[in-house]
Amino acid sequence: MASTYKCARCKQKVEIDVNVRCPYCGHRILFKERGAAIKELKAR
Amino acid sequence: MEIEFASLDDSLARFTLSGASTAFANAIRRAMIGEVPTLAIEDVRIYDNTSALFDEMLAHRLGLIPIKTDLATYTTQDKCSCGGAGCPGCTSTYTLSVEGPKTVTSSDLIPQDPNAAPVYENIPIVKLTKGQKLVIEARAILNTGRTHAKWQPTLVCGYKNYPVITVSDACDACGNCVDECPRDILEVKGKQVVVADGKLPECSLCRLCERACLASGIGDEPAIKISAEKDRFIFVVESDGSLPAKEIMNRALTYIREQADELEKQLGELSGDDRK
Repeated sequence: MASTYKCARCKQKVEIDVNVRCPYCGHRILFKERGAAIKELKAR
Repeated sequence: MEIEFASLDDSLARFTLSGASTAFANAIRRAMIGEVPTLAIEDVRIYDNTSALFDEMLAHRLGLIPIKTDLATYTTQDKCSCGGAGCPGCTSTYTLSVEGPKTVTSSDLIPQDPNAAPVYENIPIVKLTKGQKLVIEARAILNTGRTHAKWQPTLVCGYKNYPVITVSDACDACGNCVDECPRDILEVKGKQVVVADGKLPECSLCRLCERACLASGIGDEPAIKISAEKDRFIFVVESDGSLPAKEIMNRALTYIREQADELEKQLGELSGDDRK
């Protein structure tokens, strides 16, 4: 279920399990990646 | 009832309507705003959006873009033979695929039907910086302003009563009202104040001239009096470009006639009268 994140410093893909921390560079700012699903909206 | 045009082109119509009640003038206004169908984007499919705006905000902005509408080729979804599923007879599709750095404008919306393109090409949708991406598919459908303001064909659309300015013999041509009038429609001619040639329709009925006249110490009654013709109206109708102003008026009046016929028919059925 864990969604993929992207490290703000080394741009690697990161999976979060317990710690919010990049396992490659130790940076603690992660961006959540946009899912692959197509979003359908009403233009209102 | 009579309509006299002061000016008419695709984007703007100015006319006077005489011999009609306020209720009828308002009916025309409301029909032009809310009952004439136009195209507007309704369904948006977002494949990718890494821009600074949320998907919902983008969809909303797309919906508000005016689209050239040919009412001969498009019908509303509930009257379409496809039953509202979406076919070329009731929907127009657009694709948008842009990568930054760039300001995404309405010209980046590529229509499937070139006759249903956005009215203006330079409407900004969102600014993209380097690396940001936007991939969108949109569907426009025909509907009326009654449902949502994005389907209104009009921008400015309103009326006012035709002004009547009377200057009595008590006028001493002091010129106070001439200075006070915000629209400069009065002038001193000889020993009386008169309305400048052709400027009468510009009067906004603000009555500042009446007050200026009283303040000049003329007595209890002002020499200049502003009133309005109860059955004559000045209309201004501005189109957003989706339809010509003339067609907006035509469609609105046709709508009013259809509604009146329908009412007559229903009343006839109620009273057992067999008139069609």
